[in-house]
Amino acid sequence: MPRLANSKDLEEERARLLERRRSYRTTLILCGGTGCQASRSLAVAEAIRDGIEARQLAGSVLLRVTGCHGFCEQGPVLVLEPSNILYCHVTAEDVPEILDATVLRGEVVERLLYTDPVRNMKIRTEREIPFYRAQDRILLAQNREVDPCSIEDYIAIGGYSALVKVLEGMAPDEVIREVHESGLRGRGGGGFPTGRKWQECRRAPGATKYVICNADEGDPGAYMDRCLLEGNPHLILEGMLIGAYAIGAQQGYIYVRKEYPLAVKHSRIAIEQARQWGLLGENILGSGFSFDVEVARGGGAFVCGESTALMASLEGRVGEPRPKDVHTAEQGLWNRPSNLNNVETWANVPHIIRNGAAWFASRGTAGSKGTKIFALTGCVKNTGLVEVPMGTSLRTIIEEIGGGVRNGVGLKAVQTGGPSGGCLPVDKFDLPVDFETLAEAGSMVGSGGMVVMDQRTCMVDVAKYFLRFLQDESCGKCVPCRLGVDRMLEIVTDISEGRGRIDQIPLLEELGETVAATSLCGLGKTAPNPVLSTLKYFRDEYEAHIRAHKCPAGVCRALISYSIDPEKCTGCGVCLKACPHGAIRGEKKAPHVIDPASCQKCGICRSECKFDSVVVQ
Amino acid sequence: MATDGLGRILEGREGKPSQLVEVLQDIQEAHGYLSENVMKIVSEKLGVPLIEVFRVANFYKAFSLVPRGRHLLTLCTGTACHVRGAPLLISEAASQLGAEPGETTRDGLFTLECVNCLGACAIGAVAVLDGQVLPHMTPSKLRRLIRSIQKTEQQEVANA
Amino acid sequence: MQQYVSLRINGSRITAPKGTSVLDAALSHGICIPHLCHVPGLTDFGGCRLCIVEIVRNGRSKITTSCTLEVQQDMVVRSDTDRVRRYRKNIAELLVAEAPNSRAIQDLAARCGVQEVRYPFRNEKCVLCGRCVRVCEEIWQARAIGFVGRGKKRHVDFPFGVRPDFCKKCGTCVDLCPMTITPCAGPMKRGEETLCAKCASQLSMTLKMPDHCVQCDLGKGFGCERAACA
Repeated sequence: MPRLANSKDLEEERARLLERRRSYRTTLILCGGTGCQASRSLAVAEAIRDGIEARQLAGSVLLRVTGCHGFCEQGPVLVLEPSNILYCHVTAEDVPEILDATVLRGEVVERLLYTDPVRNMKIRTEREIPFYRAQDRILLAQNREVDPCSIEDYIAIGGYSALVKVLEGMAPDEVIREVHESGLRGRGGGGFPTGRKWQECRRAPGATKYVICNADEGDPGAYMDRCLLEGNPHLILEGMLIGAYAIGAQQGYIYVRKEYPLAVKHSRIAIEQARQWGLLGENILGSGFSFDVEVARGGGAFVCGESTALMASLEGRVGEPRPKDVHTAEQGLWNRPSNLNNVETWANVPHIIRNGAAWFASRGTAGSKGTKIFALTGCVKNTGLVEVPMGTSLRTIIEEIGGGVRNGVGLKAVQTGGPSGGCLPVDKFDLPVDFETLAEAGSMVGSGGMVVMDQRTCMVDVAKYFLRFLQDESCGKCVPCRLGVDRMLEIVTDISEGRGRIDQIPLLEELGETVAATSLCGLGKTAPNPVLSTLKYFRDEYEAHIRAHKCPAGVCRALISYSIDPEKCTGCGVCLKACPHGAIRGEKKAPHVIDPASCQKCGICRSECKFDSVVVQ
Repeated sequence: MATDGLGRILEGREGKPSQLVEVLQDIQEAHGYLSENVMKIVSEKLGVPLIEVFRVANFYKAFSLVPRGRHLLTLCTGTACHVRGAPLLISEAASQLGAEPGETTRDGLFTLECVNCLGACAIGAVAVLDGQVLPHMTPSKLRRLIRSIQKTEQQEVANA
Repeated sequence: MQQYVSLRINGSRITAPKGTSVLDAALSHGICIPHLCHVPGLTDFGGCRLCIVEIVRNGRSKITTSCTLEVQQDMVVRSDTDRVRRYRKNIAELLVAEAPNSRAIQDLAARCGVQEVRYPFRNEKCVLCGRCVRVCEEIWQARAIGFVGRGKKRHVDFPFGVRPDFCKKCGTCVDLCPMTITPCAGPMKRGEETLCAKCASQLSMTLKMPDHCVQCDLGKGFGCERAACA
């Protein structure tokens, strides 16, 4: 592929690619994201390729293996166009039937259709599925349109046209003004106005500047960035190109966490392709603007999602944050002006440039514009990636899109913002999701993680979980975080094991306030949020643990006991075999008994029992 | 043996301290761990003080300073996997292998690790065996998986 | 030509050279801001968080460490607000609960107003103030020791845990270490740790914490630069 010398070359290529794309009668869109790959979607791809060849359909049927669609629990997901029929849980064995019945004869394979768990009926097309219908998939929709390893796909659907618009018709300050007026705020959790950050970096003295993409998505339960970078890396590259032009940077870095090998691989391929086509490197499209990007891998440290720690890691050092009395926009990577933005933030940029600031600002609330992708997980029927306008209520996301609670157990809370965020109870579910509202309520939007919890979740256990996570990931440099989080964990552990004292609750609150106010970086500053928010809304649960030595949700091992209901037990012996501690005794076909002295309450017997006879009190 | 391929990894990176993390990542992938000897060579070739190489090797979870087992079993402890039974998997794995997370079994067969979220939350609880992501893991599935690998290895030893 | 900057600390107007930290400016003007990891001549990194102050800029108040904050014209700094004092006390409490077996740490806790310790005592030998690491790196440029490990596992160590031959045993690391100064009555037995503050000099500090330097005994323990001047 020869280098594109100018935008005319690009447009000619685009027209040619679009025509070829449209020449296929049927397109089979198969999700090849990490989740679906784990469910063996690549075997499905193999089978489809073989099947197309065997039926000599190569000229009329196209297979496109894409990145993550975000409908992960239904994977492998296969969508046929133009009919828009969606099949889920597709296996390689299903492929011949799909090709013969649906592709060749236009017949639907009923058993492969998606079943809506709320109304219990089969749905034929992708666009009718309530999970998708209620969303506003500005960013995610593109994932099904492109093979992430194909720059041709990206160009065919209009890719790099925003870059052309910028290079040929907008001065850097104009670009910054557009982004500023759109109201775009950082999507990584900080919510800092993007236009203002770009402006600060542009104005900072120094000829050498950097733009950085933070793909170190470390919040447990959040995978929006993985989906975007793995599925549509060129979108991020285009965003970074536009940002670099506006700021005056010549070099960019994409810092990807090591736990996302597919995202690392696809970013590297995309960069190589962009270089070959002349969209990265010297004198891009003849504009005189030069810019290149490198991929760096994280080493397995949550703290490296913090901007100064990330930059230290890029410099080859330990990922310890430094005080931010001077912004990284002025002194960042190698002490030079550096503009760091999250993957989703960068992804929004080409759309804003192409459609205009007013278009972006038409969605969302006064203070939080545009759409946001959330990773909806936990105790809901439909888990996956959800993109909605800012200002959508929690209830809409959890009940309308998520389908409400799964397993019939009542809803209890939703945790947003990962380890920096908090838990909100059901009576707060009508709150609109935007930066200010969630922060005021004691949580935060964060990077987009949204974990739904039911009545079987213990909020003290949730606080303990996040504190343990943060204690593990703390860099240890500053006293409030290193010692404060540790002591908070010590207290919450005491409470969860029945050793809590009622005077420890005000102590938790005071210590939490101190850690939040005095820690060196964002990790420490937001570390108390899970504890403080659960104390605020679920204080009675803490008190039950302390005063009554009970765990109402039946989770905290020291406060519960396991027993077998002799009425339900069939004596099958599965639990006896499964118990790692030898705590179960019983004869075949007779009710089994758990010895409380040996029982470690690990819960394995309950998970194995098919007769629901293990009782937790 | 321990310095195999080191030349290739260091090529073009000599005298560039900023390449330290990437170099150690490549070595970790190639050798499975970072030995003292190798770290000393890296310190010299990259021009990074030895204490810095040691600090970086100890800071990031990706690096192991002791040889890893033949099979790497990683269990995800992210929030979504946590509510889908990750603690059960850890109990099961620890009892089956006789090793705690972070440790290698005495026969050198398995290394058990925990990771704080792989980003595959909808298919939780997630386990990764030798790079392959395994969805919807349960204690019994895990038990069967571990036993099948142990059996295969025993057979190979018997055949050898 | 040295440029000077004028700012307010605790209501007093002071002048300091551009590039000075707020902590240095305060100390040199006799304003006492408790600190631990700060040592004259070594770079400040804001680790102990004891020297926190409240600054008001553009109508918004922010809490930050004075050792890493550069003086700026017309800055308004307060180290004596109730909020700052409370946070400082809580941080000192964490430190003394962690490592009570040091006179310097006990004195600091007293100076910061700690009157009770609400956590079970531990008996750690290092508070990770980083004085040793920095002096080895910056003054001697030997780099024989460093912070190794993350979070709770963070500790000071030699490469591979073995003293390298380029460590010349100069002993400066030990001289600067706040843990090498044991309480007056001798080392505390494990399990019998307690909050000190028993002698007269400490008691008077705890009950009425002054914000100006009185060249107290407490500073001698951790090598406060003003105590050195006495």
